[in-house]
Amino acid sequence: MAPFTPGFFATKLPILASGGIGAPSLPDFGWLTNSILVAAVVTTAILLFTRVATKKMSLIPNAKQNFVEFVIEFLYGQVEGIVGKKVAPKAFPILATLFIFILASNWFGLIPGVGTVGFGQKLAFLSVDSSFVNAEGHATFTPLLRPATADLNMNLALALVFMIVWLYLSVSELGVWGSLVHIFGPKGGLTGFLKYALMPIFFAVGMIEVLSIAFRPLSLSLRLLGNIFAGETLLHTMGGLGAALGLGKIPAFLTSVVFPIPFYFMEILVGMLQATVFALLCAVYIKLSTSHEDAEHH
Amino acid sequence: MTEILETFGLDWPKFIAQVIIVLLVYTILSKYAFGPVLSVLEARRRRIAEGESNLETIKAEMDKAEENVRATLDRANADAERLIVEARESAEAVRVQKTQEAVKEANQILEKARDGARLEHERVMGELKRDFGRLVIDATAKVTGKVLDDQDQVRINEEATSQIAL
Repeated sequence: MAPFTPGFFATKLPILASGGIGAPSLPDFGWLTNSILVAAVVTTAILLFTRVATKKMSLIPNAKQNFVEFVIEFLYGQVEGIVGKKVAPKAFPILATLFIFILASNWFGLIPGVGTVGFGQKLAFLSVDSSFVNAEGHATFTPLLRPATADLNMNLALALVFMIVWLYLSVSELGVWGSLVHIFGPKGGLTGFLKYALMPIFFAVGMIEVLSIAFRPLSLSLRLLGNIFAGETLLHTMGGLGAALGLGKIPAFLTSVVFPIPFYFMEILVGMLQATVFALLCAVYIKLSTSHEDAEHH
Repeated sequence: MTEILETFGLDWPKFIAQVIIVLLVYTILSKYAFGPVLSVLEARRRRIAEGESNLETIKAEMDKAEENVRATLDRANADAERLIVEARESAEAVRVQKTQEAVKEANQILEKARDGARLEHERVMGELKRDFGRLVIDATAKVTGKVLDDQDQVRINEEATSQIAL
């Protein structure tokens, strides 16, 4: 078994450099990875579909427009229910983008061939080593495509873009001073002596809040990465189980088809759930930082 | 922290590339998908609301028109009934009047006929009396063979006519 080193792909197949945990990087063409390729494919697919569906918009919609309208109307209703009528028009685009993109990326990763079609050593015809590297740390297999959300760079990018929009929405809604008061100020409509007496406590709580806000991008991105990467690993492990157990060629092939099937259904749910969790948490963050103290008490 | 992130695969060039992709998707979807679709949904919602409002107006107008039609029909029925009653009353009045006129006319005709008959009767009786008196005078003159003077003739005539109880 000849090890496939990052240098091999750097010289032969630069486009196939892997992104994600333990992925080899390419010094000469480092940014273009298989997960970025998938992200680009998913982006193109989403944009093309929405373009086709919304090209000739009419009050009496065709099937594609109807579908897009259904999705957007449903998502808008959910967003409006969480962040409120006033903030919903401004918060909806980022939340809907996050949900649609993450969902499409997660489900794209379930298409047969994603993660198993590539270059290097395979365990069997349809199964690969889920770690993609051997004990020496050398790449054994580089897939042509990998789920975009199984790459921390993508998840962190999603979280970072969200945090920028979140900051803009919070400041535009409450103002800089209002946002600071919202975080550090006394809550619960306190007045008089009690208000000033509890100020240090609320300030300390505000510092903890700032810390939690600072960790939000990490918690969002690592949660998504963990779930999708685990799902991908699970599918690869199930696919390679027959070969790992030392079954013959044909039984190994059959098990590589049959064993992952139940987990595909689970991963469909996980993909939807993780997209929902990501978007839902973002919506809650927006709601928490844009709700007025006065409105909360009335 | 950086070490942890790098362990999980963070790489700045790849990260920047992903940020660009996310921004691209966000910008394009916001401008070319969410905006137009939400506008269409809003336009449709407005149109449906207008339709509902128009429907309410049309329904109210229809109710009003139906009420008007019903009121007109009621009025027409009432007028028709009144006209029928009036016509009946009028016909009855005319019938009574005509009957009375007919009766009156018949009575008049009857009266006239009676008067005529009575006058005729009196005339005939007068003539009869005159003829009878003349006959009595002629007979008396022939029986007695004397020429009766005017005085006798008047007397005989009066006696003869007084005998006739006609």
